[in-house]
Amino acid sequence: MPKLIKLHDGHAAFANDAYMTVTDEDATPASGGVILPLARYRIEGAALLDEGRNVGVLLQPDEAIEELSDDLTRLSVVALSFPKFRDGRAYTSARLLRERFGFGGEIRAVGDVLREQASFFIRCGFDAFEPADGSTPEQWMAAANRFRHVYQRGADDRKPAFVERIS
Amino acid sequence: MKAIVANTLIDGEVVYWNAGVWVTRFGQAQLFAEDEVAESALAKANQPTSVVDCYVIDVAEEEDGYAPTAYRERIKALGPQNHPQHGKQADGGHDIDLIKQAHGIARSAGRHALIKLKK
Amino acid sequence: MYRYDYIDRAFVEDRAAEFRGQVARRLAGEITEDQFKPLRLMNGLYLQLHAYMLRVSIPYGTLTPNQLRKLAWIARTYDKGYGHFTTRQNIQFHWIKLKDVPDILGHLADVEMHALQTSGNCIRNVTSDPRAGASADEIEDPRIWSEIIRQWAAIHPEFSFLPRKFKIAVTATAHDRTAARLHDIGLLMRKGRDGGVGFEVIVGGGMGRTPYVGPTIRDVLPAEHLLSYLEAVLRVYNRHGRRDNIYKARIKILVAQLGAEEFARQVEAEWAQIDHPAIDAPQAEVDRVRAAFAPPAFEAVTGRSDAFEAAKAASSSLARFARNNVHLHKQPGYAIVDISLKAPGETPGDATAEQMELVADLAERFSLGELRVTHEQNLVLPHVKLDDVAAVHAALAGAGLASANINLVSDIIACPGLDYCALANARAIPIAQDIALRFAAADQAENIGELKIKISGCINACGHHHVGHIGILGVDKKGEEFYQLSLGGSAAEDAEVGKILGPAIPADKVTDAVDHLVGVYLRERHAGERFIDTYRRVGLVPFKEAVYAEAH
Repeated sequence: MPKLIKLHDGHAAFANDAYMTVTDEDATPASGGVILPLARYRIEGAALLDEGRNVGVLLQPDEAIEELSDDLTRLSVVALSFPKFRDGRAYTSARLLRERFGFGGEIRAVGDVLREQASFFIRCGFDAFEPADGSTPEQWMAAANRFRHVYQRGADDRKPAFVERIS
Repeated sequence: MKAIVANTLIDGEVVYWNAGVWVTRFGQAQLFAEDEVAESALAKANQPTSVVDCYVIDVAEEEDGYAPTAYRERIKALGPQNHPQHGKQADGGHDIDLIKQAHGIARSAGRHALIKLKK
Repeated sequence: MYRYDYIDRAFVEDRAAEFRGQVARRLAGEITEDQFKPLRLMNGLYLQLHAYMLRVSIPYGTLTPNQLRKLAWIARTYDKGYGHFTTRQNIQFHWIKLKDVPDILGHLADVEMHALQTSGNCIRNVTSDPRAGASADEIEDPRIWSEIIRQWAAIHPEFSFLPRKFKIAVTATAHDRTAARLHDIGLLMRKGRDGGVGFEVIVGGGMGRTPYVGPTIRDVLPAEHLLSYLEAVLRVYNRHGRRDNIYKARIKILVAQLGAEEFARQVEAEWAQIDHPAIDAPQAEVDRVRAAFAPPAFEAVTGRSDAFEAAKAASSSLARFARNNVHLHKQPGYAIVDISLKAPGETPGDATAEQMELVADLAERFSLGELRVTHEQNLVLPHVKLDDVAAVHAALAGAGLASANINLVSDIIACPGLDYCALANARAIPIAQDIALRFAAADQAENIGELKIKISGCINACGHHHVGHIGILGVDKKGEEFYQLSLGGSAAEDAEVGKILGPAIPADKVTDAVDHLVGVYLRERHAGERFIDTYRRVGLVPFKEAVYAEAH
């Protein structure tokens, strides 16, 4: 299992995963946080939330983030899957979550998650990562902070070059 | 017949497999009479930290030796045809001449000879 | 011209350092080739047949003399002393070693250059009019907006893992020299009713396996909203473009499947929800970039040069060069001088290190320090005084660069083809060489007039064969090189995809076929008609009959 790296105030550290990610076949654990695939969340999510459990949803790249627009206030995690690291759809999902839907919970990158994507993830609003390449938090942040400047506005608080130039 | 071709990871040069080592000329390549032997050699040859794009090619028997069958592989063994001084062809030698003269090339009249498949 | 500030400089240095680390990790076996390949591609590094190929970005085709000198130095130091200019105004080096690439990127960074996003499924080099800043009829220098797009696209956090590559062209004159309608996005500058600058936005053109002339999805987009609108287009594509089939992954397929109207509706809906001021370049930034492209210090000279007229009268080769390679400039007494990289028999688009250095010197002495690369694989000195054209011509002639064949039959676009490219099915270069040699006689070529021949070695269409007046596509027919001819394509403002003439023909019949096609044109043409005009009037049939007559 990849170790979870979480980002707080620009610092990354390994973190205990307070959630169990449940696949379509698994039984739902009796206690603790769970991350469910979308279809299963539709069936079991309300009951789990009513129990006071922490609930997250795992979205595949072809599942629109808008599907969750009415649920976001109750969700504490949205996990976005990268079946292949070349599949860039989840970057859009993350940005929409932060910028359009104002989601303040955890956005987690899972799947083919590599250090080379660290800055893309963070700039699009991800704050939790399950690196498949065994990256440490130090390696992760070194990659994420490789570029001293950025050119465009993302979901993070970095200033684009056109703002830096006049400030 | 078959041979195994690849490019070296570090500089991209075309190389051929010969019994555990990579050699730089087609003329030095190990030729495999049986497909299964070539395939099992490929498994050994395909070392991801030293080569890329490693695969088995078909080799045809010519009058005086062997040449890759496909013209793509002949160009790979020779170098670009618009710059005869570039690539392996620049060194000349019997194996290079043989590939250049492999079936078809002698038949075309133009300045830029065709490399054709054996009919 | 735009020059890097501390931010741009740091950015390319950081990029070179990042790639140095990635190469080290690859060589150490920490990442696999599958993982490394997209990383190297995003730095313009391909593996071809004989070696790695590094494609260096030349944003909107503009170069300084020092940049071209550096490219010459790289050609000499790390390659075999030459470079190949491409149909995306870039240059590529064909004999590069992976271990040298981090150093090369560092040397490029020293002259404000990079290889960023010249490959991979990201936003590629923005192309523009090679005559930008020199054309009388341009609304404003299209490089202003090209540079703003270049910066916005550089390592875009959301759009670096698109379904497929993404190409943008910007032009600002009625005559389109960028093939804008054959791009993922083509931006045609328009004057708005309020006098402000805007763009007609074309989305979903492209060549490749399924060529489309792109439809217009917005008649006028105010220029100040360019980036937020691009963001909306890219977002719709990133979400909905196909990823299950590489041949159906370009935006043109999405636009065609949805229909231009529905696609436009989705873009407008997305755009309406984007926070425009957060994304659009603010006025101060637009002003800064605009100032960088202020016209150079032209001298006040008269529109007629007696020295030039006398020199032309004395030299028929200069007169010919003037007819074909020298074009009207917006500034009286100046000219745009095209340098053909199509000397008959040579490789289209290739230049040696020595030739690059000579052209750099000429740009410095005679073209106010500016140079351009065209998508037709030629170079341009954009600001030459008429008084200096004879000296420029003489210097070019001494270096084999004075071919007076711009837009003529031997000014052929050809991709590297199977001589270099791992994707190719057939060779393109020798076909171009043979045709150019057949029509090397200059009077004959001028008599034939404008004729755009474009050759691709595979269906990916880097050689733009779909939009050639005569297009030639290399195919592999049972292990042999065959070529499919098409007629009537155009990359200009009257963009059109050519029609296939008939069955593919063997390599040694291609030049004869072109000869037949030219023969039909010469026989059928009316006064003043170009090849393409005659084709449009008489249709495919007489051309087809001439080429396939022997088979009947």
